[in-house]
Amino acid sequence: MSTHAASAPVPLVADSSIASSANKALIIGLVGIALTALGLFVSTPTAVALSWLVGITYWTAIVIGMLMLVLIHHIFDASWSTVIRRQWEHGLASFKWLALLFLPLVLVSWFGGHHDLVWPWMDPHHHVHGGTVGTDILYQKKSGFLSREMFTGMTIAFFIAWVWLSARLRKASFSQDRDGDLKWTMMNRTTAAMGLPIGALTLTFAAIYWVKSLEYHWFSTMYGVWFFANCIRGALCFGVIIMVWLYHRGDYKGILNTNHLHSIGQLMLAFTVFWAYITFSQYFLIWNANIPEETFWYNLREINFDGAPNQWKWVGMTLLFGHFFVPFFFLLSYRFKVTHRIIRGIAYWILLIILIDLCYNILPALKDAHGNPLPFISLNLLWVLTSVVGIGGVCVWAYLKSFPTAKLIPIRDPRIGESLTHHE
Amino acid sequence: MAAPSYGLIATFETAPGLYHAAEQVRDAGYKNWDCITPFPVHGLDKAMGLKRSVVPRISLCGGITGFFTGMSMIWWTGAWDYPLIVGGKPYFSPMFAFPIAYELTILFTAFATIGGMFFLNGLPMHYHPVLKYEKIRRGMDDLFFIVIEARDPRFNLANTQALLEKAGGKDIKDLET
Repeated sequence: MSTHAASAPVPLVADSSIASSANKALIIGLVGIALTALGLFVSTPTAVALSWLVGITYWTAIVIGMLMLVLIHHIFDASWSTVIRRQWEHGLASFKWLALLFLPLVLVSWFGGHHDLVWPWMDPHHHVHGGTVGTDILYQKKSGFLSREMFTGMTIAFFIAWVWLSARLRKASFSQDRDGDLKWTMMNRTTAAMGLPIGALTLTFAAIYWVKSLEYHWFSTMYGVWFFANCIRGALCFGVIIMVWLYHRGDYKGILNTNHLHSIGQLMLAFTVFWAYITFSQYFLIWNANIPEETFWYNLREINFDGAPNQWKWVGMTLLFGHFFVPFFFLLSYRFKVTHRIIRGIAYWILLIILIDLCYNILPALKDAHGNPLPFISLNLLWVLTSVVGIGGVCVWAYLKSFPTAKLIPIRDPRIGESLTHHE
Repeated sequence: MAAPSYGLIATFETAPGLYHAAEQVRDAGYKNWDCITPFPVHGLDKAMGLKRSVVPRISLCGGITGFFTGMSMIWWTGAWDYPLIVGGKPYFSPMFAFPIAYELTILFTAFATIGGMFFLNGLPMHYHPVLKYEKIRRGMDDLFFIVIEARDPRFNLANTQALLEKAGGKDIKDLET
């Protein structure tokens, strides 16, 4: 078997600073989770649960994005991304913890009160205008899909699929470091070929079950693709942050060059346009067709029933400019893409705006007595923040725990030589 | 004296030889010169001291022009020249003008990119003095050349020849215009 061991200096010691950072991340995570739990004594359980849903969806989206990028890397037999692929593989270690952290939402759906704490359609007696969920024709027609059993089974299936694909990718990649056997590359290609359709379907249905079904009357065929765009953008941003972090820590010296950042920056630009294309298309088609079953979703996010504009209108505008125009114009520049400080700043900005995008999609499900969505700027934002920090802490901990268990880059990958000398 | 000289051409047998020679020509301060290689030599632009291309800026101008052309075209046709209500929608909204504006952004960006590239490269160019050089075809096969033009302010037949020799250039020839 031919192997191509990388000739670059690779520091491989599991240093103690990583271990202490991992512990810190776990403590921050547990504090965040505890604070979110305290929220139950302050806000309504539904408000806290939906904030938790924002947090868990956010981090799951980012890790799904990492999974999809690794699969895409293998299916295209890509070369330049080999040096960063290993870090995404470490990120995949979070899936099993995300499954655990999702569990409370499933449990309250089964054992919490009328089952409608998070997803209103789970309770047939839940009041919708003009009747109840059970008597609502739109629910009856969708009830084969929208049932608690289906929801639970599907959610379990999603996490099993993601954990299983991640385990295969990690095993093949890490084993190749030791023996350099090309069969591991072949195994990764097989995983990629079957994993991409599985990943596409699971992430689409996860977005539909977890987020879109909060307003189960609504129709949008763009929804899974919208979620996918956010997944990939989040994972690319984490890729940039990790690259810059490892470079300045010294690990990536002699490994990372300007062209790696240029390439990942180009992907960030491409997916910025992709997100805008999908999100605009969804809005435009609904605006143009002007059918009440579809327009109500955007009406909720623009005006109250009395016609007065609500805060969500401005959140939508923030998304339009902050999620598209700002990153788009910044990422057009070559210099910005390859200047560490600037590209990292753009990555942090996009990660923040993805969170706002998820808030925009999830939180208007919280209604006041008149059926108007609760405002964006409210105490609920605090629980969103504690959830994101809590779940994020656990994910970062899982990443840092995995980090010392494998070499910094896949040193015996057949493409590693090309990746180390990546050029335009 | 014979016909005015276009410049000097020197032959190199290897890519590294050409690469290091290019660095020396760059450091000597020449501006009007070029390398001829049978394949792209990575990093040669840096060795030649070339800046990044300005084509992206021309593309951006094309894109912005396209966007506003699309928007104003829909506004002009639907709201100004022949106001017409379609589907209960306003005479003009950026919403339905967007697909047109988006397409024209792409189209004009492509035109500007191709046009800018042709313009900056001086294309189309049907004749170039190096084509008279009998060995030039091997520049598409297995030889590398550096051409320093006589119009370069630093050009001086003796000094430039000495520089190319020092840089490892063989077979240095004077090119006719």
